[in-house]
Amino acid sequence: MDRRLFLSLAGAGAGAAALTACGGPSTSAGPGPATATLDFDGVKPAASFDFWSNHPGKSQEVEKSIIAKFQAKHPDIKVNLVTAGANYEEIAQKFQTAQAAKSGLPALVVLSDVWWFRYYLNESIIPLDALIKQLDVKLDDFRTSLVDDYKYDGQQWALPYGRSTPLFYYNKDHFAAAGLPDRAPATWQEFAEWAPKLKAAAGAQYAFMHPALAGYAGWTLQNNLWGEGGGWSKGWDITCDSPESVAALQAVQDSVYKDSWAGVSSKESADDFAAGLASATLSSTGSLIGILKSASFNVGVGFLPGGSRAKTGVCPTGGAGLGIPSGVTREEQLAAAMFLQFVTEPENTAEFSAATGYMPTRTSADMTAVLAKTPQIKTATDQLSVTRVQDNARAFLPGADQEMAKAAAKILTQQADVKATMTELKSTLEGLYTKDVKPKLKA
Amino acid sequence: MTASLAGSRTDLPAGPPAGLSGPVPRRRWSARSRRDFFVFLALAFPNLLLIGTFTYLPLINNIYYSTLDWTLGSASATVVGLDNYLTFFTSADAGKVLGTTAVFTATTVGGSMVLGLLVALALNSKVRGTTFARAAVFAPYVLSGVGVGLVWLFIFDPGYGVLSWILRGLGQQSPQWINDPQLSLAMVILVYVWKNLGYCAVVFLAGLQSLPKDVMEAAALDGAGSFRRFLSISVPLLSPTTFFLLITTMLSSLQAFDLIRIMTPLGSGTSTLIYEAYLQAFGAYNRAGYSAAVSVVLFVILLVITVLQLRFVEKKVHYS
Repeated sequence: MDRRLFLSLAGAGAGAAALTACGGPSTSAGPGPATATLDFDGVKPAASFDFWSNHPGKSQEVEKSIIAKFQAKHPDIKVNLVTAGANYEEIAQKFQTAQAAKSGLPALVVLSDVWWFRYYLNESIIPLDALIKQLDVKLDDFRTSLVDDYKYDGQQWALPYGRSTPLFYYNKDHFAAAGLPDRAPATWQEFAEWAPKLKAAAGAQYAFMHPALAGYAGWTLQNNLWGEGGGWSKGWDITCDSPESVAALQAVQDSVYKDSWAGVSSKESADDFAAGLASATLSSTGSLIGILKSASFNVGVGFLPGGSRAKTGVCPTGGAGLGIPSGVTREEQLAAAMFLQFVTEPENTAEFSAATGYMPTRTSADMTAVLAKTPQIKTATDQLSVTRVQDNARAFLPGADQEMAKAAAKILTQQADVKATMTELKSTLEGLYTKDVKPKLKA
Repeated sequence: MTASLAGSRTDLPAGPPAGLSGPVPRRRWSARSRRDFFVFLALAFPNLLLIGTFTYLPLINNIYYSTLDWTLGSASATVVGLDNYLTFFTSADAGKVLGTTAVFTATTVGGSMVLGLLVALALNSKVRGTTFARAAVFAPYVLSGVGVGLVWLFIFDPGYGVLSWILRGLGQQSPQWINDPQLSLAMVILVYVWKNLGYCAVVFLAGLQSLPKDVMEAAALDGAGSFRRFLSISVPLLSPTTFFLLITTMLSSLQAFDLIRIMTPLGSGTSTLIYEAYLQAFGAYNRAGYSAAVSVVLFVILLVITVLQLRFVEKKVHYS
């Protein structure tokens, strides 16, 4: 091998090698940290800790404000707010990498609805029950549906933070121009009747913009699936290929191809809607403040439409909570828990909600001032009473969200056969369950 | 065993030749040789240490991880031998990923080199404004891939992108560049070629300007036209440049990441080997062991391509 060959091969190796410059796992079995008994008696809170956030709903400023209040109350504890990603996936990636490298972990981390369960399976986060008891966190004042999302195996694994649901956004001016009532449609069938009038009268490119597939298609499509009596799964049984599920997704495909009143967003349907490209869309409640700021028309919001089989109970919960990693010291965990308690206090959750549009997580949060300024938040809050816990397949299977988005892309951008696509998706989801989840579930 | 083998080879001499028997005198280093060696060590060792620590150690670790069933973030893993490789090569995704990698690499390497050569020929002409044109052509190459990807996403956006605006003006609907997996690949290839052809153009331009003028003039005197001179003289004499670009652009294309990550985060239709390795470990799946196996496959492919290029393609190169 001459010098040139050697150098070329070395160069070729560098790219592949750089992929995995991180720490490694143990191949000998042993109990993980999360299974150890957690006892914080006699533990003093750390002087500082890192809080990793992606600032959901453009919340960086309000997070800083709440941190400043916390530090005024607890001058001995410094909270280092770290921007650890631009979205839930990026923050998860950074957290998992730190977990693998066994260094640089935060003491408090934002975890989305599809990530916390993986952290639980990997024993990357601790159960909060001991801390909730020690700090006397008023768990019964939290909104039950939001706090129960993080219960598993009889323990509480996170507390709700930037919690959201999808919301139906509509352009009031377009609706008025089309002679439609100033409300969200009760069902998708009703909207299908309205759509031609909207397209004719409003002049927008689309009557409705489906949310971007690369975002959270698996999340919002549950609304269409549940309305027709289908779903991604029932318990751990994958039901995405059931006749009801196929009918629901066929209707979604028809809205794009056969009836041509809907488009599919390429990046963010909230932005498309605010730019006037469509007369209506579905987006997170966390987009509410942003839409209200950027839209140059009157924005209406309403509950998600139902379907032919279910007119209510068709709205999934979503968004993010806060969890405490297992790989940091007890002192840091206690300090993080004190901040977690503070950030979820009624006045702070109200402040966070006012700044972002996310749900106030406490029932006793005084929302009078917030609602006076942004009355649309009330619709989002009222919708909480008719929300439904997400399908296991979407929330708990690693990678399922991506597979659902890919399947949705085939249906909505390539006009693929719905039944065949869902049959293929079912096989993929069952594979994910069998390989990645089932072996780790406790009997 | 050793004795019987030695005994079976009667043609071998029993010991060293008579003239070489006895202790071999140790070669003594002069003070200058020693000094040179220590200078060499002082200069090379830090680099070798860095390369060993940050390149070869992770490479070896990666090969080890590829034998594990390891969920990223989990503190424990199970040794599974070659299962990850078997899973990859027997899955439906393997064909798709390898096919996407081949299409992406062939089109981006071919596109960048052919267009780069054409641009270099244009820039080699003696007309006004070539200095500005050279800078303009090379500029995309030095721009951040993330920034380039974001800007082009706006251009391709079917809702309010410039391209969609032009198409609407022509009475056409914009294709779903971002959502449709097949169009996504075409979109990323276009942007990648646009970003990298400046590099090929500048290297080809340097090659064109170093061509011997007397040969060109002699050919012209013999009546060879410009196309004939280009085909029969420029192209063969540019072969060292072409060979250099072939190796570097192919290695770059096989490792292209930033544009794919920014423009198609899910990798729908654009999941090349390196992006598949990323998605499997750091995307939604967290299969670190499987991802390591995919990256080893990429490593082997890079190795084979480089060896083949050096062994066979280089023979066609005219260095003088």
